[in-house]
Amino acid sequence: MEGLAQPLPAYTALTALGIVLFGAFLRATRLRAGWTPYRTWLVMLPIIFAALWLGAWAWAFLITVLSIYGFKEFARATGLYRERLFVLVVYAAMVAANLAAYFGRFGLFMVVPVWTVGTLTLVPIIRNRTEGMLQGFALSVVGIVYFGWFLAHLTYLAIWTGGLGLVLYVVLATQLNDVVAFLFGKLLGRRHWTVLSPNKTVEGSVGALAFSVAFAFANWPLAFPDLPWWGTLGLGLIVGAGGQIGDLTLANFKRNVGIKDFGNLLPGHGGVLDRLNSLTLVAPVALHFVRFFFDGFP
Amino acid sequence: MSFEYRPVPDFGMTLRERLGQYPRVPDLTIDALRTVARWIAVGLIKLQFPTEVRGGLPAGERIALVANHQSHLDSLVVLASLSERRRRDIACLAAKDYFFSRLPLALGGSLFAMAVSFDRTKYTELRHWSRILRDQQHGCLLVFPSGSRRRSEAHDAILFVLAKSGWTIVPVAIAGTAAAWPIGARLPRPFRRIRLTFGAPLSDVATKDLAVALGEFWKANA
Repeated sequence: MEGLAQPLPAYTALTALGIVLFGAFLRATRLRAGWTPYRTWLVMLPIIFAALWLGAWAWAFLITVLSIYGFKEFARATGLYRERLFVLVVYAAMVAANLAAYFGRFGLFMVVPVWTVGTLTLVPIIRNRTEGMLQGFALSVVGIVYFGWFLAHLTYLAIWTGGLGLVLYVVLATQLNDVVAFLFGKLLGRRHWTVLSPNKTVEGSVGALAFSVAFAFANWPLAFPDLPWWGTLGLGLIVGAGGQIGDLTLANFKRNVGIKDFGNLLPGHGGVLDRLNSLTLVAPVALHFVRFFFDGFP
Repeated sequence: MSFEYRPVPDFGMTLRERLGQYPRVPDLTIDALRTVARWIAVGLIKLQFPTEVRGGLPAGERIALVANHQSHLDSLVVLASLSERRRRDIACLAAKDYFFSRLPLALGGSLFAMAVSFDRTKYTELRHWSRILRDQQHGCLLVFPSGSRRRSEAHDAILFVLAKSGWTIVPVAIAGTAAAWPIGARLPRPFRRIRLTFGAPLSDVATKDLAVALGEFWKANA
């Protein structure tokens, strides 16, 4: 199994510099609303980088905990949490998905959702009940596929030869993508375009997409130097578009349930899912894009 | 087709609020942690403090144990003397301004000592608890009606709420915990003898006389 390698010191230094500069920017502009999320970032970033520095096992552990906690927020919001058996099956499947990814068993990793859905069909039979079981089953399938298996792709990326650069890029770019979409929307936003998230503007979304492509090329020499230019462009588009689609998907979930945030664990951000919303979709698409076209890194 | 979503009742609360709520909303993680922490706490108390228990709990679904309060050990000693079923159910009313002011304290109190939050600084809290207790069909409460380790007399108000809500009030006298973990000491002093006395339910005592009857029971047994 490959350990996590070279780009980490550079990314750690750049992120530390970025966070100091952003703090100075907040101080200079007296943007009070920015301080709470900023302080939360001061806690989250060391956790993320500590896991990456400790190695693939720590990263796999962090991803497993985040998946389980994120799914717990989802289950509490939708009421699925009352159905303990569904929840326990999904928790177990999340651990299994990350174990399969950590040990590099790609075939097994790909069929985790199949086995999980198969196991979930047993729940109504064991409970000997029909009421609410279709809803419970459907929400559990969303839980394991969207919050468990999708996120576990980040574990698989981390053990992949040369995948660390991709992990760092995908994680940091999706988070920056959210910030840039917000800033562009605030500064230039005129035309609203979706009922899923009424504050989103065309200008904000296009700005974030353009930034993501530019950010991909800025990261090219450091994170994925072996990719050709069109691979880098593809990654930028995946992060720019996928991040916003993931964001809208979670916004849709929240509007259906009738809540504003999935939780309150992260002050200034909401719950874990509110922070991971764009990452969940980008992680698997980025992995399969690189795997399909380049078979990993040549 | 449309699904019906019903978030859990404590959705939107902070972790600290969730730890202190009563009745407790089931939570896989917190319940599991609470079980393990309770076993550890009870095991340590049983190992370190030889405890003599007199009397026992009456059968019933809504029981309030009303005890004198001299030490942080009091609730743990009572917990250790109960059956596992009662321990799982019990909620120990703890001062919100002390035990739920910070997350680490709230975690410790709620997980190890089954504490729930009681805001002694608000008089509306009694009305709130009165509603809860009236609606609650079963449970076991541990109440220290003196409100503080430094006070030996019971406050009337909480006893009044318990009696009017139809809960069975069982007097409990705790002796020896003041020496085992005195006020101001950082750590408990192991191997001190502790005595715990469960009295007969105060069903026949008029509500206005409850505090006096309790005081006499504590004086005789603690």
